[in-house]
Amino acid sequence: MKFSNHLIILATIILGFWLDDMLNPITISFLLELNFGFLIFSYWVFAMPEKLQSSAALFYGLVTDLFFSNVIGFNMLFFTATSYIIHLYVFRFRIFSYFQLAVFFSGSSSLFIAFKYLLLSPYNYSYIILIVSFFINAVIWLGVYFTMRAFRRNIFLNS
Amino acid sequence: MARSTPTYTPVRNYAIGIFLSAFLLFSDISYGTFSPLRGLMHASSLYAQMISSNIFSNINNTFSSFQKNAYLLEKNKELTEQILKIKTQDFIQRKDNEEKIQISNFQNDLISVLGSKNINLFKIASIDLRNYLCCSQHRVFLQTTNEVQPAANSPVFAGNSYIGQTKNTYMNFIEVILLSDTKHVLPIKSDFFYCDARGKGKPMLISCKLGKNDDFQHKIGDAVFTSGLGGIFLKDIEIGLISAINSVSINEIEIIVTMKTNPLEETFYGILSKVTDEI
Repeated sequence: MKFSNHLIILATIILGFWLDDMLNPITISFLLELNFGFLIFSYWVFAMPEKLQSSAALFYGLVTDLFFSNVIGFNMLFFTATSYIIHLYVFRFRIFSYFQLAVFFSGSSSLFIAFKYLLLSPYNYSYIILIVSFFINAVIWLGVYFTMRAFRRNIFLNS
Repeated sequence: MARSTPTYTPVRNYAIGIFLSAFLLFSDISYGTFSPLRGLMHASSLYAQMISSNIFSNINNTFSSFQKNAYLLEKNKELTEQILKIKTQDFIQRKDNEEKIQISNFQNDLISVLGSKNINLFKIASIDLRNYLCCSQHRVFLQTTNEVQPAANSPVFAGNSYIGQTKNTYMNFIEVILLSDTKHVLPIKSDFFYCDARGKGKPMLISCKLGKNDDFQHKIGDAVFTSGLGGIFLKDIEIGLISAINSVSINEIEIIVTMKTNPLEETFYGILSKVTDEI
């Protein structure tokens, strides 16, 4: 894959994390933590597994850590692990329904949030946040999926 | 029929990636290995924000001046321009005066409370709102100049009480760790106890644990002060009020203190340039 394509993918992931940064201070009062950045990353690996391997996940994670995280390595670790799991089951995912996909990716996103709190902010760990975020991120996944698919078809099929 | 689905997954690369990132994560969480790097990134992004907002305002000004010119040509160009200039000057002067009054009031407050004139004032550059509202890390970045570089761990004052301590300086931005950050410990006292209060990781809250005894007669709403025992903060400065007293175990209670100053409402922060003898 061309380097410019990597930059486009990275830009969408950064946009997702930026959205999270903008919206989470508002939504956290409703016990909801949005996770656009992670869902967008998951979408790209899910949509183009043969092009996004471990090194890409590591690189995207490092850049995200530098810009958005409080520690280096957190997003790197989760991006790599998620990428591995998606690669492992990528063909099974192909026969999943939208509902099943939403449950899987929203579950991964809740796991991401849970570990973020456990590692970086254990005092604020809350099961209610995880449960609320699970349901809302499942809905968001559908939006991310269709939006990013339209974007990918526009950008990558025309280039 | 295939027993399992074919995959593209070379496990070795993923294992290396996971071990590498886990190692980086561990070293950063435990020893803060990359905190200078993160500080630099944060300072750079603040600069980028400031520069981009300047560029946007310049572009906006240019566009609006084009529109205004067209409008002014229809009317009386010279006269309207004069009025606009006067209005703008007046507005800027008023804003400038407001800011000056704010600074001078704050400086007077600092001098009266701390009894020291060695105070440097800094304007807030950014507050890490994402973490402040949800998580353990509560940090504020203050703008500084090359001439004024406060020492690390100096106490920081805002409103009419202490708010945190300087942590580091990156590219003319001072990183301040707030009292509510879980990594911050502040020695406090009241009439009935002395303790080291740790940040709760929640806005404006610090807490400390005490053994239960009969002398303890506090109630919610009582004031809490700095004890000065850490050698950093001056003693007897009111920090906040007791907002909750929770029983942790049979012989232990947790006192929650709500701080007097809300960092979200403060624009100017003061840092003592020299440690006084009052500690």
